[in-house]
Amino acid sequence: MPKAVKGVLVECDPSIKAIILKIDHDKHDYIVEDLDDQHLVIKESQLPRLKERLEEVLADTQQMPDESGSD
Amino acid sequence: MSSSSMRSFEYLESLPGTVFNRLYKQPSTALAIFRRMLPQLAKSFVMAMLYMPRPLPVADLDTWVRPGSRREQDTAIDLLERLQILKRTAEPNKPRSYVLTNPFAASLRQALTGGGNHRSFGVPSRTHAEGQVTKAQLDDFARRQWEGVLGYMVGSTGVGLNDEGAKLSLAVKHLLKYGRLVEVRGRSVDITQDGFAFVLQEVNAQVWTILILYLENAEELGMDRVDVLSFLFMLGSLELGQGYSKANLTDTQLQMLLDLGDFGIIYQNTPNSDSYYPTRLATTLTSDASALRSATAGFDTALRPSNNDDKGFVVVETNYRIYAYTSSPLQIAILSLFTRLSTRYPNMVSGKMTRESVRRAISMGITGDQIIDFLYTHAHPQMRKNANFLPPTVVDQIRLWQIEGERMKSTVGFLFKDFLSAAEYEGLCQYAGDIGVLKWKNDAKRMFFVTRHEQVAAYLKSQKEKRREGG
Repeated sequence: MPKAVKGVLVECDPSIKAIILKIDHDKHDYIVEDLDDQHLVIKESQLPRLKERLEEVLADTQQMPDESGSD
Repeated sequence: MSSSSMRSFEYLESLPGTVFNRLYKQPSTALAIFRRMLPQLAKSFVMAMLYMPRPLPVADLDTWVRPGSRREQDTAIDLLERLQILKRTAEPNKPRSYVLTNPFAASLRQALTGGGNHRSFGVPSRTHAEGQVTKAQLDDFARRQWEGVLGYMVGSTGVGLNDEGAKLSLAVKHLLKYGRLVEVRGRSVDITQDGFAFVLQEVNAQVWTILILYLENAEELGMDRVDVLSFLFMLGSLELGQGYSKANLTDTQLQMLLDLGDFGIIYQNTPNSDSYYPTRLATTLTSDASALRSATAGFDTALRPSNNDDKGFVVVETNYRIYAYTSSPLQIAILSLFTRLSTRYPNMVSGKMTRESVRRAISMGITGDQIIDFLYTHAHPQMRKNANFLPPTVVDQIRLWQIEGERMKSTVGFLFKDFLSAAEYEGLCQYAGDIGVLKWKNDAKRMFFVTRHEQVAAYLKSQKEKRREGG
């Protein structure tokens, strides 16, 4: 008998997926199922939190080009 | 299918069966659902089965459809079942069959062939004592009110616009707040993500959004939603330019006349007059797709500010500068949502799209494509002389700014796994694909992800029964 699991399908680049795996690594409380390079299923309740964490990590690692105010 | 009817679908599907039962007692509702909500194939099924005295065996219905079109068939049947128009009968010792549910079938027959004294299509008013209202007046009224609503929503984005135009009632403001289209902090009104996307939608989709908000809110105010819904569906069947009598309306519906008047959906000479006029916003609600498109297109042009004979007024340069020849507060406010405006002249504003301004718009919920669409449809005639008239660098950059924010795409749904046999997996996966809920699959792992599971689970069960019968 097949099983159905509720969750959120996340599609992203492999690089982003690597970050998600890293975030999950601490407590294993995000990921339900690791599907393939670009897909995973996570817990629905954790989606906003995951997005937040991802933004934090990206803000730390990426430099945004400065925008001068001159027109 | 347009996004507006999708929204109304989602609302309808969430209703309990008893509400459907009462709704479908009105012939106008049955007809409106039939012509506005159903795809062509579903319409054919309903028409074919409308006068059938006995349930139609499932196998017989299958023979009507070519094997190559199973997918369309499944979608149509699925929809009819969700709207509680069609149901399966399961009696022992008889093949499984489909039958149209009753208040719906009876009402649709009545709507198509006439007769009865149901008055559900509105009663034309015979008194013209207060003076006939022309279509032009109605359009003008609807446009003024509707622009007023939109202007209220975007008018607060820091451009410092003086509010001119229609006066909005408290009820309207409350509804916009209730629907989270705007947020009110003290005296200032801020547009939200949803509100932003709302402003750029086509008019008909906007009207549906507002009406669904109204429906949800009506329940809180203690209004009967069946009354409200059937009145809305009736509005869609009325004729533009014709006055209708208020005599047989319920109290709830009389209250609705006042509320909808604030949005420009209904026109009354005075709140106490004994007839009301639907405007174009109302009469295009439930007409079928093609009629609707041309009607909204007409209205869309009508909705553009009158000081622009041609609707294009935006010039975009390759250096992201924007010059907009407009003095309409609404248009300027919309532009300011994704542009950094720097100078305003009597007939023109100028500014620049920056990464920051576009990112801000995207974080408010508007998509890059919506911005591009807006620039495209409002491009100045001078720009249109070139074949590719929006600078490709600008278009690409807006898309890039958008992608920057989309690190991951998420879809809520269900993962199916642990299949015992390849056959079981393939059958179910195929079915999920046919009804259009499949998002992802992996044949090697025998897993797939769907957006809804009810239909798939039901199919799984029926397959199992079939196997048991067979074995």
